[in-house]
Amino acid sequence: MPATRVTDPGLVDAHANSQLGPYLRGLWKRRSYGWYVAESDLRQRQITTIFGSLWHLLNPLLSIAVYFLVFGLILKTDRGVDGKGGFLLFLTVGLFVFQYTQRAVTQGAISIVANRGLIQAIRFPRALLPLSATLTETFAALPSFIVVYVVAITTGTTPTWSWLALPGIVAWQMLFNFGAAMIAARVTTHFRDMQQLLPFVFRLLIYASGVFFSIENYVSDGWMTVLFILNPMYAFIAMARWATMGMDMPAEAVFAAIVWTAVALVGGFLWFKSAEHAYDRV
Amino acid sequence: MTASEQASPATGTEQLSVLVEDVHVNFRVYKDNDASLREFVRRGMRRAVDVHALKGVSIEIGVGESVGIVGSNGSGKSTLLRAIAGVQPLSNGKVFVRGEAHLLGVGAALKPLLSGRRNILLGGLAMGMTRSEIEAKLHEVVEFAGLEESINLPLNTYSVGMRSRLAFAIATLRVADVLLVDEALAVGDQAFRERSLARLRSLRDEAGAVVLVTHNLVEIRQSCSRAIWLEQGEIRADGDVGEVLDEYSPTSA
Repeated sequence: MPATRVTDPGLVDAHANSQLGPYLRGLWKRRSYGWYVAESDLRQRQITTIFGSLWHLLNPLLSIAVYFLVFGLILKTDRGVDGKGGFLLFLTVGLFVFQYTQRAVTQGAISIVANRGLIQAIRFPRALLPLSATLTETFAALPSFIVVYVVAITTGTTPTWSWLALPGIVAWQMLFNFGAAMIAARVTTHFRDMQQLLPFVFRLLIYASGVFFSIENYVSDGWMTVLFILNPMYAFIAMARWATMGMDMPAEAVFAAIVWTAVALVGGFLWFKSAEHAYDRV
Repeated sequence: MTASEQASPATGTEQLSVLVEDVHVNFRVYKDNDASLREFVRRGMRRAVDVHALKGVSIEIGVGESVGIVGSNGSGKSTLLRAIAGVQPLSNGKVFVRGEAHLLGVGAALKPLLSGRRNILLGGLAMGMTRSEIEAKLHEVVEFAGLEESINLPLNTYSVGMRSRLAFAIATLRVADVLLVDEALAVGDQAFRERSLARLRSLRDEAGAVVLVTHNLVEIRQSCSRAIWLEQGEIRADGDVGEVLDEYSPTSA
């Protein structure tokens, strides 16, 4: 290749990897794209159903009913659940915190592949796509977090100041989800089979996160407990249960959530960005 | 604009708008040999094949130039445009652009379940425009594309012609420094084609440079001063539009 003789500062390499600063500025400049995608996608999702946007509320209520029937009434995995609100609230919090991450990561994973048309026509920081997927799933998850408060009140839990911490925990979880979505997006771009594998990853993870049972009462082995507590999903669920049910919050869980969020968000972003041009090939 | 005012690549003193230096593009594609299940099991996975789409292409385009690219199907024209737009990874070589390049193509299908209006907004926002900037131009581009009736219908109800008009509308929301047009005008009806050509001319006056890929040689003769003939990923001819097109297609003149 001949040595480039470009001395004109107005001529810019069309394929250069953008520096961190311009990349983040480009992302920030396009933030309303994320809001608008979320609004459009949510509006469009239920447009052909009879109950329309009521499904955003009906869906979480029905899934709680099904899980409560199986785990609360048939399998009775409520042993040792002692927080306020009983097993129903325990299950509600666990399930919604878990499903929020599951959906954000699943949508983030396909965000590059699903937006081929846009990628091939317009140059923009590709992290915008997993970001939009995360925002969409955050809005989609809001009704289910309202259901958490409804369940808490109907099960006779007295409101405490710690209830106000739940939105903060969800916002924290959103940062983690964005990081995890970027990692999933890059993995899926290189390795399309990931789309088929993800449901199994999450099925394994849902059992390892104490959604349906109290880990403290079912797992006795010392190092197994450590593995559970280091699981990021368990950490977020434990914090949300502390906020709503007044359950003990293990300090290790908070520590795990901090470390996981930092690793997913910073590491995930840098790792995603370093393959910026690979996404053009999808 | 007359030919004598054009930036000539030979002198090298004028400002360049686009500089393409020895660009190579290799695609890795997966071949489906249509083998029977038994063969598939015996031979294993799909076969990856490398396609050498561009083999060392170098072009200099000066500010104010409009260049038409011709060549048979599969000669690498679209790949070259995408390489200039920065959305086609290069195997080798460099591409430099003054300002921002916009690719205007028929493939800009965004979200098929959303309405045309939402697609225009999404396209504009992804380009980095603000919502009010887009809304200020929305009426004009919808009218231009002739989509007033169907702008609130989902994209999957559009015909191919309507879709390409929408893509044109999205790409012309904003004045590009370098406008890259890929067969975008080929699908519309005669009236739309004429309106597009007129709009393209006015965009060209505002843009730094225009590169046009099309099989319609009349369009190139009408709107370009220079033509490049691409064949099998290599430049066969580059120069005055009349000379190159006469050589490319002696019967077209």
